[in-house]
Amino acid sequence: MEESPLHPFELHNWIPLALGGVDISITKAVVMMWVVVSLVAVLMVRAGAARKLVPGKLQNIAEILVDFIRGIIMDTMGKDGMRFFPLIATLFLFILFCNLIGLIPGSYTVTSQIIVTAVFACLVYGLSLVMGFFLHGIKFLGILVPPGTPGWLLPLMVPIELISQLARPISLAVRLFANMTAGHVILGVLFGLSISGGLLIGWLPFAFTIAMNGLEVGIAFIQAYIFTVLTCVYLGDAFHLHGHDEPAH
Amino acid sequence: MPPSQDPLYAGLGQAVRIATDLLAAVIVGGGLGWVCDTYLFDSRPWGMAGGLVLGLVAGVRNAYRSAQRWPKT
Repeated sequence: MEESPLHPFELHNWIPLALGGVDISITKAVVMMWVVVSLVAVLMVRAGAARKLVPGKLQNIAEILVDFIRGIIMDTMGKDGMRFFPLIATLFLFILFCNLIGLIPGSYTVTSQIIVTAVFACLVYGLSLVMGFFLHGIKFLGILVPPGTPGWLLPLMVPIELISQLARPISLAVRLFANMTAGHVILGVLFGLSISGGLLIGWLPFAFTIAMNGLEVGIAFIQAYIFTVLTCVYLGDAFHLHGHDEPAH
Repeated sequence: MPPSQDPLYAGLGQAVRIATDLLAAVIVGGGLGWVCDTYLFDSRPWGMAGGLVLGLVAGVRNAYRSAQRWPKT
């Protein structure tokens, strides 16, 4: 029996639904997203309910997470960035929990669907564009001209900068999707080997499966962290045009 | 959060990040060139060739920039 290693990523409609010609069927990914959202919500609300001076276990976890996200924002955007804290914290927690829950055997990694990561990336990049034009007006197009460019280089630099700007949402989406998919394909193939290998040699790929699972936990954190950092960097770029100078207002 | 501050994982993340930065810019450059060829100017194959070169330049630039931005450990 041969099976494609990408087979686990296929989605099947559990409850077919359509709204005005648009397919909104309930699939495994949708259910997993609901699970993640409710898990994050319950965790954060319950952790925030007590507000003790000496935090309990749950409050401690929540405080570490919040402090971590706050640190990312302060490092990349400065104090102005704190107004985006709700958005960035939501993104970070959602992606982190999607990645982590996907590692439980039998569950599903929502972030291994490129449409999910692409929506996040477009949301972040679109927000940075809207905010840039809102804050700087037409001067925001100056992001296409790096500071200190001589005039005769402009016809070359503007297309290059345009491409590197357009590459941002794509690299953001592809990175998260590719890392999650690749990790799970490797886990699946290794585990398949240990099943078909039998007792005599099968323990070797099984040991690798366990080791890879540990590495994947790290990757889950890393990818959520990188997505968040880059979100902050892109929003910060729109905020402070050309890196170091002050916002125009 | 220990995993993201561990040098091994931080290095891993940086490597992956630079690789996709490079790749995405090449894809976008080639794609823009292809769109120019097919829909705008009918200049096949020069648009895509030029677009790929520009994309590669932009990708190297992006990778260089994100490597510079990474906090030193």
